[in-house]
Amino acid sequence: MTDIAPRAVTSGGRRRPGGGPRAGTVIAFLTPFFLPFVLFYLVPVGYALWQSFRVVRRTGGQYGTSYTTFGGFDQYTQVFQNSEFWNSIGRIGLFGIVQVPVMLFVALIMALLLDTPLLKLKAFFRITAFMPYAVPGVIAAIMWSYLYSPQLSPVVDLFQRIGLHPDFLGPGAVLWSAANVSTWLWTGYNMLIMYSALQSIPQELYEAAKIDGASNWTIAWRIKVPIIAPSIVLTTVFSIIGTLQLYAEPAVLRQISSNISSTFTPNMLAYAVASGNNYQQAAAISVVIAVITFVLSFGFMRLTSKKAGL
Amino acid sequence: MSKTVTRTRLAAVAAAATLVALAGCSSSAPSDKASAASCTPAKGKVTLQYWNTVPGMDKVVDLWNKKNPDIQVQTKNISNDQYGTLGNALKAGKAPDLAQVGYDELPALRTQNAFVDASACSAATAAKSKFVPWTWSQTSFGGTGVFALPQDTGPMALYVRSDIFKKYDIAIPTTWDEYAAAAQKLHKADPSLDITFFDPNNAEWFNGLLWQNSAQMYSYSGDKWHVTVTSDQSKQVADYWQKLIAGKLVRTDLANGSTQMYAAYQKDQIASYVGAAWGYSMFRDNLPKQSGKWSIVPIPTWGANGSSGDWGGSTVAFMKGSQHLYESVKFNTWLNSDPEALALENQLGGLYPAADAGLKLPALSKGVPYYNNEKVFDVFADSSRKINTNFAWGPTQKTVNLALQDAMAKAAAGDGTLTDALSAAQAAALKSMKAQAIPATAGK
Repeated sequence: MTDIAPRAVTSGGRRRPGGGPRAGTVIAFLTPFFLPFVLFYLVPVGYALWQSFRVVRRTGGQYGTSYTTFGGFDQYTQVFQNSEFWNSIGRIGLFGIVQVPVMLFVALIMALLLDTPLLKLKAFFRITAFMPYAVPGVIAAIMWSYLYSPQLSPVVDLFQRIGLHPDFLGPGAVLWSAANVSTWLWTGYNMLIMYSALQSIPQELYEAAKIDGASNWTIAWRIKVPIIAPSIVLTTVFSIIGTLQLYAEPAVLRQISSNISSTFTPNMLAYAVASGNNYQQAAAISVVIAVITFVLSFGFMRLTSKKAGL
Repeated sequence: MSKTVTRTRLAAVAAAATLVALAGCSSSAPSDKASAASCTPAKGKVTLQYWNTVPGMDKVVDLWNKKNPDIQVQTKNISNDQYGTLGNALKAGKAPDLAQVGYDELPALRTQNAFVDASACSAATAAKSKFVPWTWSQTSFGGTGVFALPQDTGPMALYVRSDIFKKYDIAIPTTWDEYAAAAQKLHKADPSLDITFFDPNNAEWFNGLLWQNSAQMYSYSGDKWHVTVTSDQSKQVADYWQKLIAGKLVRTDLANGSTQMYAAYQKDQIASYVGAAWGYSMFRDNLPKQSGKWSIVPIPTWGANGSSGDWGGSTVAFMKGSQHLYESVKFNTWLNSDPEALALENQLGGLYPAADAGLKLPALSKGVPYYNNEKVFDVFADSSRKINTNFAWGPTQKTVNLALQDAMAKAAAGDGTLTDALSAAQAAALKSMKAQAIPATAGK
């Protein structure tokens, strides 16, 4: 923490060689950011870390009196030995490997279509595609759960009329039903990030390409996509983080499908453990999820930036 | 970007290092003295905090506040995340004076040091005679104190569509064997008709059925908890439902109280409901068109064993940290045994009282129009008296319930059996008790 403020002062000094801004001004401008950052980010993270190194002990008797004490890496050993944890990571891995590419591919196609001069009613399509993002995840999941439910769904009804009996909530399908909700929610959001990147490409580039005889197709794949590659990387990183933190959609679908267990995703497992009063174990699970998220998202960034030289 | 990364990483490493150092100095163990609660009336006006999950409870409290200017009560509805809210408040040392806690969660919260023993107040111990015996033994943990007062219960009964049973000329079952036979007959007569549904996500319901068969899942002796979730009584219940599931005689795709469940009943796909007292208003309010078609009869029995089970119900607990135990006892006793308060709670919140006085309420001895003017509360009162008094919950019940549900869902999907689910629950009980440093062993 202490290394940040002086650095800000130095960089300020570089910009204005006549004399640095007073420390008071800097503090005044930074406080609104750092105070909530410390209170609502660093402190909870620190608290979780602290909890994860503790274990419950209690004095004798049928109910005893509980207290916590330092337990070393006990909680972490338990996380690594917990098959439910690795099952949930595996499940979410499968989910991410399929859902993220599908979602981002669709988002990219939509962004490119929005960017073509051929498309009319751009504002309408843009807002329609983005609309699902405005719906809170829980509400979206409730909405979709009605569409999946054989008792209530007009969609299932329609399938049944043509002799098909899809079971969207069955053991094999429910993961993909949850994936569909996520895709529906986030495609428009990712599209908008890519579309904004497309908007910032200077028109002269296209003109030059056209003069060279490039088709719209070539322009899209040879010029637009490579230029917006950083935003595609960014949406991928967001999606990896989002996937590992998946909670709302499966938690809501769980209420109508018994094929989603209480340990379906890592976050659901952490929640289930915490609701059983085992806060220390839940903290350790959360820390491990955070580390895996960190490694995967920054690993992906490292990998792509090396490859593409971004 | 890379600058931010390094900075965050540095901060994280520094934070971790400090914390590990901090964690090194462990707190010393507190003594096992029972919290020395005193029971002296406060001087002057007192304001109590009471958190609950019952609709209309604010109106009941208004009534109290009008009558007792010196003991004012403030309510807060925590039905959104009852135990999460309570757990967090306890951790923060900001628990209310009184809070609603389900019977099955009492031992778990007690192991979290959530309660204060109100037996210092003579009014609290004297309240014993007012309540149905099993409710009292659960709130006093078999007589080691008074940690809560019982509020409502869920004595179980069988809801039947008498018109459907009549149509197919099937007698209303009185034993579980007859019930299974009826399931077969109904399904044979109309393949789209099932006798009931098995909700794999409802451990509470299943526990009620285990309770009915006198399954003793937890006991304490020799400085240890003894875990017997997989007793013969439990296995008998598990086998029974496993056969119904395997024979496709019960639905397994419905959750209790869900829109989907009501839709299935609405479409005459299900002919009965194994429910509790508080469910009477669910059918009345959600399926108004089926008025007159439903009857409530005693829950089927296991042969000669005529006992009943309980599903749900709550207590109002004395929370640790309360500065006003005397006043809390006074309000709590009124809330849960005064006929006027009980009548209002039944009317507004659908509560089925745990107090004997409640079972004799005029409102509960009348015929109910929706159920053909049958005196359905007589059935529940009878069921309430037949509930096994010795049943006890484990100190990590929620974790056990989740494990049970996960495994019940697998069984319903054809992966394993309900007996396997009992084994999973047994393992979860032992594991979670170990994590809470509660000494436990398998078997009697």
